[in-house]
Amino acid sequence: MATFELYRRSTIGMCLTETLDEMVSSGVLSPELAIQVLVQFDKSMTEALESQVKSKVTIKGHLHTYRFCDNVWTFILQNAQFKNEECQETVGRVKIVACDSKLLTQ
Amino acid sequence: MGCNNTGPSDLMADAQGLEGSQPVDLSKHPSGIVPTLQNIVSTVNLDCKLDLKAIALQARNAEYNPKRFAAVIMRIREPKTTALIFASGKMVCTGAKSEQQSKLAARKYARIIQKLGFPAKFKDFKIQNIVGSCDVKFPIRLEGLAYAHGAFSSYEPELFPGLIYRMKQPKIVLLIFVSGKIVLTGAKVREETYTAFENIYPVLTEFRKVQQWYGFIDILIYLSFLKFK
Repeated sequence: MATFELYRRSTIGMCLTETLDEMVSSGVLSPELAIQVLVQFDKSMTEALESQVKSKVTIKGHLHTYRFCDNVWTFILQNAQFKNEECQETVGRVKIVACDSKLLTQ
Repeated sequence: MGCNNTGPSDLMADAQGLEGSQPVDLSKHPSGIVPTLQNIVSTVNLDCKLDLKAIALQARNAEYNPKRFAAVIMRIREPKTTALIFASGKMVCTGAKSEQQSKLAARKYARIIQKLGFPAKFKDFKIQNIVGSCDVKFPIRLEGLAYAHGAFSSYEPELFPGLIYRMKQPKIVLLIFVSGKIVLTGAKVREETYTAFENIYPVLTEFRKVQQWYGFIDILIYLSFLKFK
C-alpha cells in the first residue's frame, strides 16, 4: 500500500524522526530500519485516523490563498474558526494541506 | 410607448443600477431599460510557452489538474475574474463586468506570469463575448412569441423554461423568460447587446401576458356567494 508522508511534519511525526535520527547516529539502529519505521508510521497514522478517530471538526475562515497541484490542495485561511462538539477556537492564520485518500487505494 | 414608459422606466433603469444614478439616455435606450453587463470573456496571447506546473506551484489561487483540463485555472479578487492559462501562452479571462475590467484583469494575469519569470507579452487582446441581462418587469406569453417569430425562436418548455431567440441583426442570442427576465449573449461589443434589446422590446410588449382578471372576479363572486350563504 502506498502512503502519504503528510503526517511526518506533525508534532508526533517530528518527534519520531528526531528519535530515529538520534538512534541512527548513535549506531543503535540501521538507517534502513529507521526508514522502515517511518513508512510504518505513515501507514499507522492513515489507518488510525480512518478507524479510531470519530470526532469531526469544522473549519471556517477567510480563504486567503488556495492551490491545487499534483493532487494536493493547499489552503491558507485567515481568522479561521475551528469547531467540534466540545469547543471552538479561532486561529489567525492556518495552512491546510490535504490529499485525496482515494489515490492510495488505486 | 416612449411616453407612458418614461416614468416607470426611469425607476427601472435606476433599480437595474446600470448607469448608476444617471438618467437613461432615451435616444440610445428608447425602452428606458439598459441591460446590465454580467460577464465578459476575453482572450489574449502572452506569446511565450508556459510551464503550467511551475506556474501552479508558484502562483497563488491556482489549480492545475492536467488529467481533467490542460490549463491552469487562476483567480484574482480585483477585478473578480478567473483566467484559463494554457501551455501555448494563450489565455482566456472570464467573469469581468465590463470591457475595461476584463482588460485590466488580463493585464494583471500577464503581470503575474511575468513575475514568475516568463517573457509574457500582451498580444491580440480581444473581447470574445459579452453577456447582459435585464428585467422588463412584466410577464411574457412565450408560446405566442415563439409562434409569431418561429424563424428565430426555439421554445421547448420541457427542455428549458426560456424561449431561445436567435436574432440575425445584430447576431445575438436572447433567453426570454415568462417572468420578463431577459439574458442577451453573443455580443462582441456592448452596443450589439443594447441594439438587440431595443429590437426585442416592442415584441415583448406585444406579447405581454395580461393578468387573469377573470379568475380574480370568479373568486370575488364566490366569496360574496359564501357571505350570502
